[in-house]
Amino acid sequence: MALSLAINDLDAGYGAVKALRGVSLHVEAGETVALLGTNGNGKSTLMKCIAGLVRPQRGVISLTIDGAAHDLSRLSTEDIVELGVAMVPEGRRLFPRLTVLENLMLGAFRKAARRSIDRNLAVAFETFPVLKERQGQLAGTMSGGQQQMLAIARALMSSPRLLLVDEPSVGLSPLLVSQTITKIGELNQNRGLTVLMAEQNFNQAIRIASRGYIIVHGEIVVAAASVDELRGNDIVKRLYLGGAA
Amino acid sequence: MFSLDLLLDAVVIGVLLGCFYGAVSLGLSVSFGLLDVPHVAHPAFLVLASYAVYFLNENYAVDPLVAGILITPVFFLFGLATYRLYYETFEKRGSDAGVRGIAFFFGVAFIIEVLIILQFGVDQRSVTADYIGKAWRLGDIRIPYRLLVAFAIATALTVLLTLYLSRTFMGRAIRAVAQDQEALRLMGTNPVKIKQWAFGIATAVLGIAGALLIIVAPVDPTLGRAYIGRTFCVVVMAGLGSMSGTLVAAIILGVAESIVLTMFGASWAPAISFAILLGILAVRPQGLFGRRP
Repeated sequence: MALSLAINDLDAGYGAVKALRGVSLHVEAGETVALLGTNGNGKSTLMKCIAGLVRPQRGVISLTIDGAAHDLSRLSTEDIVELGVAMVPEGRRLFPRLTVLENLMLGAFRKAARRSIDRNLAVAFETFPVLKERQGQLAGTMSGGQQQMLAIARALMSSPRLLLVDEPSVGLSPLLVSQTITKIGELNQNRGLTVLMAEQNFNQAIRIASRGYIIVHGEIVVAAASVDELRGNDIVKRLYLGGAA
Repeated sequence: MFSLDLLLDAVVIGVLLGCFYGAVSLGLSVSFGLLDVPHVAHPAFLVLASYAVYFLNENYAVDPLVAGILITPVFFLFGLATYRLYYETFEKRGSDAGVRGIAFFFGVAFIIEVLIILQFGVDQRSVTADYIGKAWRLGDIRIPYRLLVAFAIATALTVLLTLYLSRTFMGRAIRAVAQDQEALRLMGTNPVKIKQWAFGIATAVLGIAGALLIIVAPVDPTLGRAYIGRTFCVVVMAGLGSMSGTLVAAIILGVAESIVLTMFGASWAPAISFAILLGILAVRPQGLFGRRP
Protein backbone atom coordinates (compact mmCIF):
# COMPACT_ATOMS: atom_id res chain seq x y z
CA MET A 1 0.00 0.00 0.00
CA ALA A 2 1.65 3.15 -1.19
CA LEU A 3 1.40 6.14 1.08
CA SER A 4 3.53 9.18 1.54
CA LEU A 5 3.26 12.49 3.30
CA ALA A 6 5.09 15.51 1.94
CA ILE A 7 4.92 18.90 3.61
CA ASN A 8 6.25 21.80 1.62
CA ASP A 9 7.07 25.33 2.84
CA LEU A 10 4.47 25.44 5.58
CA ASP A 11 3.69 28.57 7.60
CA ALA A 12 1.26 28.51 10.49
CA GLY A 13 0.52 30.65 13.50
CA TYR A 14 -1.94 31.99 16.00
CA GLY A 15 -2.75 35.62 15.28
CA ALA A 16 0.49 37.60 15.06
CA VAL A 17 2.59 34.75 16.47
CA LYS A 18 4.22 32.59 13.83
CA ALA A 19 4.55 29.04 15.14
CA LEU A 20 5.88 27.47 11.94
CA ARG A 21 8.08 29.06 9.25
CA GLY A 22 8.81 27.39 5.93
CA VAL A 23 8.57 23.85 7.29
CA SER A 24 9.21 21.03 4.83
CA LEU A 25 9.35 17.35 5.68
CA HIS A 26 8.33 14.02 4.23
CA VAL A 27 7.36 10.59 5.51
CA GLU A 28 7.40 7.48 3.32
CA ALA A 29 5.37 4.31 3.70
CA GLY A 30 6.50 2.03 6.52
CA GLU A 31 8.81 4.58 8.14
CA THR A 32 8.92 5.83 11.71
CA VAL A 33 10.00 9.45 11.55
CA ALA A 34 10.82 11.46 14.67
CA LEU A 35 10.05 15.16 14.90
CA LEU A 36 12.33 16.33 17.67
CA GLY A 37 12.35 19.58 19.55
CA THR A 38 11.86 20.99 23.01
CA ASN A 39 8.65 22.60 24.26
CA GLY A 40 7.20 25.53 22.39
CA ASN A 41 9.10 25.04 19.15
CA GLY A 42 6.08 24.17 17.00
CA LYS A 43 5.91 20.38 17.08
CA SER A 44 2.28 20.26 18.20
CA THR A 45 1.25 22.98 15.78
CA LEU A 46 2.74 20.98 12.91
CA MET A 47 0.95 17.81 14.06
CA LYS A 48 -2.33 19.74 14.34
CA CYS A 49 -1.88 21.15 10.85
CA ILE A 50 -1.55 17.63 9.44
CA ALA A 51 -4.64 16.51 11.37
CA GLY A 52 -6.64 19.51 10.15
CA LEU A 53 -7.12 21.03 13.61
CA VAL A 54 -5.04 24.10 12.71
CA ARG A 55 -5.23 25.76 9.29
CA PRO A 56 -1.81 26.64 7.92
CA GLN A 57 -1.37 30.16 6.53
CA ARG A 58 0.74 29.02 3.60
CA GLY A 59 2.16 25.84 2.12
CA VAL A 60 1.04 22.38 1.09
CA ILE A 61 0.49 19.20 3.10
CA SER A 62 0.26 16.50 0.49
CA LEU A 63 -0.83 12.99 1.36
CA THR A 64 -0.44 10.57 -1.53
CA ILE A 65 -2.35 7.30 -1.30
CA ASP A 66 -2.01 4.75 -4.11
CA GLY A 67 -1.04 7.47 -6.54
CA ALA A 68 -3.81 9.93 -5.63
CA ALA A 69 -2.67 13.15 -3.93
CA HIS A 70 -4.75 14.99 -1.35
CA ASP A 71 -3.92 18.44 0.04
CA LEU A 72 -4.67 18.06 3.75
CA SER A 73 -4.39 21.81 4.33
CA ARG A 74 -7.73 22.20 2.53
CA LEU A 75 -9.56 19.28 4.15
CA SER A 76 -11.51 19.03 7.41
CA THR A 77 -10.36 16.74 10.22
CA GLU A 78 -13.32 14.47 9.35
CA ASP A 79 -12.04 13.99 5.80
CA ILE A 80 -8.45 13.54 6.96
CA VAL A 81 -9.46 10.75 9.36
CA GLU A 82 -11.42 9.21 6.50
CA LEU A 83 -8.23 9.15 4.40
CA GLY A 84 -6.53 7.00 7.04
CA VAL A 85 -4.71 9.51 9.24
CA ALA A 86 -5.15 9.13 13.00
CA MET A 87 -3.64 11.26 15.72
CA VAL A 88 -2.77 10.49 19.32
CA PRO A 89 -2.95 14.01 20.73
CA GLU A 90 -0.64 15.51 23.31
CA GLY A 91 -2.02 14.99 26.80
CA ARG A 92 -3.95 11.93 25.54
CA ARG A 93 -7.31 13.73 25.45
CA LEU A 94 -9.45 10.75 26.42
CA PHE A 95 -13.11 11.02 27.33
CA PRO A 96 -12.61 10.70 31.09
CA ARG A 97 -16.22 9.95 32.05
CA LEU A 98 -16.63 7.20 29.46
CA THR A 99 -15.38 3.65 29.92
CA VAL A 100 -12.30 2.22 28.23
CA LEU A 101 -14.48 0.28 25.80
CA GLU A 102 -16.62 3.33 25.02
CA ASN A 103 -13.47 5.35 24.28
CA LEU A 104 -12.31 2.63 21.88
CA MET A 105 -15.70 2.45 20.18
CA LEU A 106 -15.61 6.21 19.58
CA GLY A 107 -12.30 5.70 17.78
CA ALA A 108 -14.28 3.67 15.25
CA PHE A 109 -16.95 6.32 14.65
CA ARG A 110 -16.40 6.61 10.90
CA LYS A 111 -18.58 4.33 8.79
CA ALA A 112 -15.57 2.61 7.19
CA ALA A 113 -14.05 1.90 10.60
CA ARG A 114 -17.29 0.40 11.94
CA ARG A 115 -17.04 -2.43 9.44
CA SER A 116 -13.73 -3.63 10.84
CA ILE A 117 -14.52 -2.89 14.47
CA ASP A 118 -14.21 -6.48 15.75
CA ARG A 119 -10.84 -6.98 14.12
CA ASN A 120 -9.50 -3.63 15.34
CA LEU A 121 -10.77 -4.25 18.86
CA ALA A 122 -9.01 -7.62 18.89
CA VAL A 123 -5.79 -5.95 17.72
CA ALA A 124 -6.10 -3.25 20.40
CA PHE A 125 -6.64 -5.80 23.17
CA GLU A 126 -3.85 -7.99 21.88
CA THR A 127 -1.44 -5.05 21.77
CA PHE A 128 -2.52 -3.68 25.15
CA PRO A 129 -3.88 -6.56 27.30
CA VAL A 130 -4.44 -4.24 30.25
CA LEU A 131 -7.20 -2.49 28.27
CA LYS A 132 -9.10 -5.75 27.91
CA GLU A 133 -8.95 -6.33 31.66
CA ARG A 134 -10.13 -2.80 32.36
CA GLN A 135 -12.60 -2.28 29.53
CA GLY A 136 -15.45 -1.36 31.91
CA GLN A 137 -13.42 1.15 33.90
CA LEU A 138 -13.82 4.92 33.46
CA ALA A 139 -10.91 6.20 31.39
CA GLY A 140 -10.27 9.11 33.77
CA THR A 141 -9.61 6.77 36.69
CA MET A 142 -6.73 4.93 35.01
CA SER A 143 -3.02 5.62 35.56
CA GLY A 144 -1.12 7.87 33.15
CA GLY A 145 0.58 4.97 31.42
CA GLN A 146 -2.68 3.10 30.90
CA GLN A 147 -4.30 6.28 29.60
CA GLN A 148 -1.52 6.69 27.03
CA MET A 149 -2.06 3.10 25.89
CA LEU A 150 -5.78 3.74 25.58
CA ALA A 151 -5.13 6.89 23.56
CA ILE A 152 -2.95 4.94 21.12
CA ALA A 153 -5.44 2.06 20.95
CA ARG A 154 -8.29 4.50 20.32
CA ALA A 155 -6.39 5.95 17.36
CA LEU A 156 -5.87 2.43 15.98
CA MET A 157 -9.64 1.82 15.98
CA SER A 158 -10.05 4.01 12.88
CA SER A 159 -7.85 1.63 10.80
CA PRO A 160 -5.22 4.29 10.14
CA ARG A 161 -2.40 4.01 7.62
CA LEU A 162 -0.53 7.01 8.99
CA LEU A 163 -0.33 7.43 12.76
CA LEU A 164 0.58 10.83 14.21
CA VAL A 165 1.78 10.61 17.80
CA ASP A 166 2.21 13.90 19.63
CA GLU A 167 4.50 13.80 22.68
CA PRO A 168 3.70 10.32 23.99
CA SER A 169 6.17 10.75 26.86
CA VAL A 170 4.49 13.74 28.53
CA GLY A 171 3.65 13.11 32.17
CA LEU A 172 4.97 9.54 32.25
CA SER A 173 7.71 7.99 34.37
CA PRO A 174 10.92 6.97 32.52
CA LEU A 175 9.97 3.29 32.60
CA LEU A 176 6.52 3.98 31.13
CA VAL A 177 8.01 6.27 28.49
CA SER A 178 10.25 3.43 27.44
CA GLN A 179 7.35 0.95 27.31
CA THR A 180 5.15 3.33 25.35
CA ILE A 181 7.85 4.06 22.77
CA THR A 182 8.52 0.32 22.42
CA LYS A 183 4.81 -0.27 21.74
CA ILE A 184 4.78 2.38 19.02
CA GLY A 185 7.85 0.74 17.50
CA GLU A 186 6.06 -2.62 17.52
CA LEU A 187 3.04 -1.15 15.74
CA ASN A 188 5.37 0.02 12.99
CA GLN A 189 7.28 -3.28 12.82
CA ASN A 190 4.41 -5.76 13.18
CA ARG A 191 1.52 -3.92 11.58
CA GLY A 192 3.29 -1.91 8.94
CA LEU A 193 1.91 1.36 10.30
CA THR A 194 3.64 4.52 9.08
CA VAL A 195 4.42 6.73 12.07
CA LEU A 196 5.29 10.39 12.54
CA MET A 197 6.10 11.03 16.17
CA ALA A 198 6.71 14.39 17.82
CA GLU A 199 8.85 13.94 20.90
CA GLN A 200 11.24 15.85 23.11
CA ASN A 201 12.91 12.78 24.60
CA PHE A 202 15.69 12.37 22.04
CA ASN A 203 17.18 9.11 23.27
CA GLN A 204 13.84 7.35 23.51
CA ALA A 205 12.59 8.60 20.15
CA ILE A 206 15.64 7.50 18.17
CA ARG A 207 15.31 3.94 19.54
CA ILE A 208 12.44 3.34 17.13
CA ALA A 209 12.86 6.07 14.52
CA SER A 210 14.52 5.39 11.19
CA ARG A 211 15.35 9.07 10.77
CA GLY A 212 14.33 12.44 12.13
CA TYR A 213 13.95 16.18 11.99
CA ILE A 214 14.85 18.79 14.56
CA ILE A 215 12.59 21.80 14.87
CA VAL A 216 13.72 24.98 16.61
CA HIS A 217 11.58 28.14 16.84
CA GLY A 218 9.23 26.86 14.17
CA GLU A 219 11.92 26.02 11.63
CA ILE A 220 13.39 22.68 10.65
CA VAL A 221 17.09 23.10 11.43
CA VAL A 222 18.20 19.50 10.92
CA ALA A 223 16.85 16.93 8.48
CA ALA A 224 18.83 13.76 9.06
CA ALA A 225 18.62 10.73 6.77
CA SER A 226 19.54 8.29 9.53
CA VAL A 227 19.71 7.97 13.29
CA ASP A 228 23.51 7.93 13.15
CA GLU A 229 23.49 11.17 11.24
CA LEU A 230 21.25 12.65 13.97
CA ARG A 231 23.60 11.51 16.73
CA GLY A 232 26.59 12.99 14.99
CA ASN A 233 24.96 16.35 14.28
CA ASP A 234 26.47 19.36 16.04
CA ILE A 235 23.13 21.00 16.83
CA VAL A 236 21.89 17.75 18.34
CA LYS A 237 25.03 17.48 20.46
CA ARG A 238 24.51 21.00 21.74
CA LEU A 239 20.74 20.67 22.34
CA TYR A 240 20.41 17.14 23.64
CA LEU A 241 23.61 15.33 24.30
CA GLY A 242 25.38 17.96 26.34
CA GLY A 243 28.59 17.51 24.35
CA ALA A 244 30.82 20.30 23.09
CA ALA A 245 29.92 21.39 19.59
CA MET B 1 -54.44 15.51 60.92
CA PHE B 2 -51.46 13.24 60.29
CA SER B 3 -52.27 9.63 59.53
CA LEU B 4 -50.34 6.72 58.05
CA ASP B 5 -52.95 6.22 55.33
CA LEU B 6 -52.62 9.80 54.26
CA LEU B 7 -48.82 9.50 54.13
CA LEU B 8 -48.97 6.28 52.12
CA ASP B 9 -51.38 7.90 49.72
CA ALA B 10 -49.05 10.89 49.37
CA VAL B 11 -46.05 8.65 48.68
CA VAL B 12 -47.81 6.56 46.01
CA ILE B 13 -49.12 9.63 44.23
CA GLY B 14 -45.73 11.27 44.69
CA VAL B 15 -43.90 8.41 42.95
CA LEU B 16 -46.25 8.66 39.97
CA LEU B 17 -46.05 12.45 39.93
CA GLY B 18 -42.27 12.06 40.06
CA CYS B 19 -42.30 9.80 37.01
CA PHE B 20 -44.22 12.53 35.22
CA TYR B 21 -41.57 15.07 36.28
CA GLY B 22 -38.97 12.64 34.98
CA ALA B 23 -40.62 12.42 31.57
CA VAL B 24 -40.67 16.22 31.20
CA SER B 25 -37.05 16.54 32.43
CA LEU B 26 -35.34 13.87 30.27
CA GLY B 27 -34.90 16.21 27.30
CA LEU B 28 -33.24 18.80 29.53
CA SER B 29 -30.97 16.08 30.87
CA VAL B 30 -29.66 15.74 27.33
CA SER B 31 -29.56 19.42 26.30
CA PHE B 32 -28.31 20.90 29.56
CA GLY B 33 -26.89 17.82 31.26
CA LEU B 34 -24.86 16.46 28.37
CA LEU B 35 -24.47 19.39 25.97
CA ASP B 36 -24.06 22.25 28.50
CA VAL B 37 -26.65 24.30 26.62
CA PRO B 38 -28.43 26.61 29.11
CA HIS B 39 -31.81 25.64 27.74
CA VAL B 40 -34.19 27.66 29.94
CA ALA B 41 -36.74 27.56 27.11
CA HIS B 42 -37.12 23.81 27.68
CA PRO B 43 -40.37 24.20 29.67
CA ALA B 44 -41.68 26.64 27.06
CA PHE B 45 -41.06 24.02 24.35
CA LEU B 46 -42.91 21.59 26.61
CA VAL B 47 -45.97 23.83 26.82
CA LEU B 48 -45.81 24.43 23.07
CA ALA B 49 -45.95 20.67 22.57
CA SER B 50 -48.99 20.52 24.87
CA TYR B 51 -50.78 23.09 22.73
CA ALA B 52 -49.91 21.19 19.56
CA VAL B 53 -51.43 18.08 21.15
CA TYR B 54 -54.46 20.12 22.24
CA PHE B 55 -54.88 21.41 18.67
CA LEU B 56 -54.84 17.89 17.19
CA ASN B 57 -57.15 16.54 19.91
CA GLU B 58 -59.65 19.41 19.70
CA ASN B 59 -59.87 19.65 15.91
CA TYR B 60 -59.23 16.13 14.70
CA ALA B 61 -60.12 14.07 17.81
CA VAL B 62 -56.66 12.51 17.81
CA ASP B 63 -55.84 10.68 21.03
CA PRO B 64 -53.41 12.88 23.03
CA LEU B 65 -50.72 10.18 23.21
CA VAL B 66 -50.97 9.50 19.48
CA ALA B 67 -50.79 13.26 18.90
CA GLY B 68 -47.68 13.40 21.07
CA ILE B 69 -46.02 10.75 18.92
CA LEU B 70 -47.17 12.49 15.72
CA ILE B 71 -45.54 15.81 16.66
CA THR B 72 -42.27 14.15 17.73
CA PRO B 73 -40.62 14.31 14.26
CA VAL B 74 -41.70 17.94 13.91
CA PHE B 75 -40.17 18.76 17.27
CA PHE B 76 -36.99 16.94 16.25
CA LEU B 77 -36.66 19.29 13.27
CA PHE B 78 -37.59 22.25 15.47
CA GLY B 79 -34.74 21.23 17.81
CA LEU B 80 -32.24 20.99 14.95
CA ALA B 81 -33.21 24.48 13.78
CA THR B 82 -33.11 25.99 17.28
CA TYR B 83 -29.64 24.61 18.00
CA ARG B 84 -28.32 25.82 14.65
CA LEU B 85 -29.64 29.33 15.38
CA TYR B 86 -28.18 29.24 18.91
CA TYR B 87 -24.85 27.97 17.61
CA GLU B 88 -24.50 30.52 14.81
CA THR B 89 -25.54 33.51 16.90
CA PHE B 90 -24.07 32.65 20.31
CA GLU B 91 -22.10 29.49 20.98
CA LYS B 92 -19.71 29.92 18.04
CA ARG B 93 -18.57 33.29 19.31
CA GLY B 94 -16.71 32.33 22.41
CA SER B 95 -16.34 31.60 26.03
CA ASP B 96 -18.95 33.85 27.61
CA ALA B 97 -21.63 32.42 25.35
CA GLY B 98 -23.11 30.56 28.33
CA VAL B 99 -24.41 33.70 29.99
CA ARG B 100 -25.62 35.23 26.74
CA GLY B 101 -27.06 31.85 25.85
CA ILE B 102 -29.39 32.07 28.83
CA ALA B 103 -30.62 35.42 27.51
CA PHE B 104 -31.18 33.84 24.10
CA PHE B 105 -33.27 31.01 25.50
CA PHE B 106 -35.23 33.33 27.81
CA GLY B 107 -36.07 35.34 24.72
CA VAL B 108 -37.17 32.21 22.85
CA ALA B 109 -39.31 31.18 25.84
CA PHE B 110 -41.13 34.52 25.94
CA ILE B 111 -41.67 34.55 22.19
CA ILE B 112 -43.25 31.09 22.40
CA GLU B 113 -45.43 32.20 25.31
CA VAL B 114 -46.67 35.25 23.40
CA LEU B 115 -47.32 33.24 20.23
CA ILE B 116 -49.39 30.74 22.20
CA ILE B 117 -51.41 33.56 23.78
CA LEU B 118 -52.01 35.14 20.36
CA GLN B 119 -53.20 31.86 18.91
CA PHE B 120 -55.06 30.22 21.79
CA GLY B 121 -55.71 32.99 24.34
CA VAL B 122 -54.85 32.93 28.03
CA ASP B 123 -57.48 30.43 29.19
CA GLN B 124 -56.66 26.95 30.37
CA ARG B 125 -56.94 24.19 27.78
CA SER B 126 -57.35 20.47 28.25
CA VAL B 127 -57.70 17.33 26.17
CA THR B 128 -60.20 14.49 26.20
CA ALA B 129 -59.44 10.79 26.24
CA ASP B 130 -60.92 7.66 27.83
CA TYR B 131 -58.23 7.38 30.47
CA ILE B 132 -58.51 10.97 31.71
CA GLY B 133 -60.67 11.36 34.82
CA LYS B 134 -60.88 7.67 35.65
CA ALA B 135 -59.02 6.03 38.49
CA TRP B 136 -57.84 2.66 39.67
CA ARG B 137 -58.63 1.70 43.28
CA LEU B 138 -55.82 -0.05 45.10
CA GLY B 139 -57.17 -0.74 48.60
CA ASP B 140 -57.96 2.69 49.96
CA ILE B 141 -55.74 4.48 47.49
CA ARG B 142 -57.22 6.01 44.39
CA ILE B 143 -54.72 6.12 41.52
CA PRO B 144 -55.69 8.23 38.50
CA TYR B 145 -55.08 6.48 35.17
CA ARG B 146 -53.50 9.63 33.77
CA LEU B 147 -50.65 9.26 36.30
CA LEU B 148 -50.23 5.58 35.38
CA VAL B 149 -49.85 6.66 31.76
CA ALA B 150 -47.15 9.11 32.87
CA PHE B 151 -45.43 6.34 34.82
CA ALA B 152 -45.38 3.97 31.84
CA ILE B 153 -44.12 6.58 29.40
CA ALA B 154 -41.46 7.94 31.74
CA THR B 155 -40.09 4.44 32.26
CA ALA B 156 -40.12 3.64 28.54
CA LEU B 157 -38.43 6.94 27.63
CA THR B 158 -35.73 6.45 30.26
CA VAL B 159 -34.95 2.94 29.03
CA LEU B 160 -34.92 4.02 25.37
CA LEU B 161 -32.68 7.02 25.96
CA THR B 162 -30.29 5.06 28.17
CA LEU B 163 -29.95 2.37 25.50
CA TYR B 164 -29.51 4.94 22.77
CA LEU B 165 -26.80 6.83 24.65
CA SER B 166 -24.85 3.74 25.67
CA ARG B 167 -25.27 1.34 22.73
CA THR B 168 -25.13 3.46 19.59
CA PHE B 169 -22.20 5.27 18.00
CA MET B 170 -24.15 8.52 17.95
CA GLY B 171 -25.19 8.08 21.59
CA ARG B 172 -21.63 7.60 22.77
CA ALA B 173 -20.52 10.62 20.75
CA ILE B 174 -23.29 12.68 22.39
CA ARG B 175 -21.97 11.76 25.83
CA ALA B 176 -18.40 12.54 24.74
CA VAL B 177 -19.10 15.91 23.11
CA ALA B 178 -19.15 17.98 26.29
CA GLN B 179 -16.06 16.21 27.63
CA ASP B 180 -13.64 17.03 24.82
CA GLN B 181 -14.77 18.47 21.49
CA GLU B 182 -11.35 18.59 19.86
CA ALA B 183 -10.66 14.95 20.72
CA LEU B 184 -14.02 14.11 19.20
CA ARG B 185 -12.97 15.83 15.98
CA LEU B 186 -9.94 13.54 15.90
CA MET B 187 -12.37 10.59 15.89
CA GLY B 188 -13.54 11.87 12.52
CA THR B 189 -16.73 13.52 13.73
CA ASN B 190 -18.09 17.04 13.60
CA PRO B 191 -18.93 18.07 17.21
CA VAL B 192 -21.37 20.75 16.07
CA LYS B 193 -23.39 18.21 14.08
CA ILE B 194 -23.33 15.82 17.05
CA LYS B 195 -24.65 18.54 19.36
CA GLN B 196 -27.27 19.59 16.85
CA TRP B 197 -28.49 16.00 16.50
CA ALA B 198 -28.56 15.58 20.29
CA PHE B 199 -30.52 18.81 20.70
CA GLY B 200 -32.96 17.51 18.11
CA ILE B 201 -33.47 14.36 20.17
CA ALA B 202 -33.83 16.35 23.39
CA THR B 203 -36.56 18.39 21.71
CA ALA B 204 -38.23 15.37 20.08
CA VAL B 205 -38.70 13.80 23.52
CA LEU B 206 -40.71 16.91 24.43
CA GLY B 207 -43.38 15.94 21.91
CA ILE B 208 -44.56 13.02 24.00
CA ALA B 209 -43.73 14.84 27.26
CA GLY B 210 -45.98 17.72 26.19
CA ALA B 211 -48.78 15.21 25.64
CA LEU B 212 -48.28 13.99 29.22
CA LEU B 213 -48.33 17.55 30.56
CA ILE B 214 -51.80 18.22 29.16
CA ILE B 215 -53.04 14.72 30.04
CA VAL B 216 -52.02 15.16 33.69
CA ALA B 217 -53.59 18.61 34.08
CA PRO B 218 -54.97 21.49 31.98
CA VAL B 219 -52.32 23.87 30.61
CA ASP B 220 -52.11 27.63 30.19
CA PRO B 221 -49.52 29.66 28.24
CA THR B 222 -47.43 30.60 31.29
CA LEU B 223 -47.30 27.10 32.79
CA GLY B 224 -43.72 26.69 31.58
CA ARG B 225 -42.48 29.10 34.24
CA ALA B 226 -43.48 26.68 37.02
CA TYR B 227 -41.46 23.96 35.35
CA ILE B 228 -38.17 25.87 35.05
CA GLY B 229 -37.42 25.23 38.71
CA ARG B 230 -38.66 21.65 38.67
CA THR B 231 -36.88 20.48 35.52
CA PHE B 232 -33.55 22.14 36.36
CA CYS B 233 -33.80 20.85 39.94
CA VAL B 234 -34.28 17.30 38.65
CA VAL B 235 -31.43 17.45 36.11
CA VAL B 236 -28.90 19.01 38.49
CA MET B 237 -29.96 16.76 41.37
CA ALA B 238 -29.48 13.72 39.12
CA GLY B 239 -25.94 14.65 38.29
CA LEU B 240 -25.64 16.10 34.84
CA GLY B 241 -26.41 13.71 32.05
CA SER B 242 -27.64 10.52 33.72
CA MET B 243 -31.01 9.33 32.35
CA SER B 244 -31.87 6.78 35.05
CA GLY B 245 -30.56 9.26 37.61
CA THR B 246 -32.97 11.83 36.16
CA LEU B 247 -35.93 9.51 36.73
CA VAL B 248 -34.88 8.72 40.33
CA ALA B 249 -34.26 12.39 41.11
CA ALA B 250 -37.65 13.25 39.64
CA ILE B 251 -39.32 10.64 41.85
CA ILE B 252 -37.60 12.11 44.93
CA LEU B 253 -38.95 15.54 43.95
CA GLY B 254 -42.41 14.13 43.27
CA VAL B 255 -42.63 12.35 46.62
CA ALA B 256 -41.31 15.40 48.49
CA GLU B 257 -43.79 17.72 46.78
CA SER B 258 -46.66 15.32 47.37
CA ILE B 259 -45.89 14.89 51.10
CA VAL B 260 -45.46 18.62 51.64
CA LEU B 261 -48.71 19.24 49.76
CA THR B 262 -50.55 16.77 51.98
CA MET B 263 -49.02 17.84 55.29
CA PHE B 264 -48.47 21.57 54.93
CA GLY B 265 -50.63 22.72 52.04
CA ALA B 266 -50.18 23.80 48.45
CA SER B 267 -48.43 27.11 49.09
CA TRP B 268 -45.24 25.36 50.23
CA ALA B 269 -44.96 22.93 47.32
CA PRO B 270 -43.25 25.23 44.77
CA ALA B 271 -40.38 25.92 47.21
CA ILE B 272 -39.57 22.23 47.50
CA SER B 273 -37.64 21.86 44.25
CA PHE B 274 -35.10 24.52 45.12
CA ALA B 275 -34.83 23.44 48.77
CA ILE B 276 -33.96 19.90 47.71
CA LEU B 277 -31.59 21.17 45.05
CA LEU B 278 -29.64 23.33 47.52
CA GLY B 279 -29.58 20.56 50.11
CA ILE B 280 -28.17 17.98 47.71
CA LEU B 281 -25.65 20.31 46.13
CA ALA B 282 -24.32 21.13 49.62
CA VAL B 283 -23.70 17.44 50.34
CA ARG B 284 -22.96 16.02 46.86
CA PRO B 285 -22.01 18.77 44.39
CA GLN B 286 -21.76 16.28 41.50
CA GLY B 287 -25.42 15.33 42.03
CA LEU B 288 -26.75 11.97 43.17
CA PHE B 289 -25.58 9.98 40.18
CA GLY B 290 -22.88 12.22 38.72
CA ARG B 291 -19.74 10.36 37.76
CA ARG B 292 -16.32 11.71 38.58
CA PRO B 293 -13.76 12.62 37.38
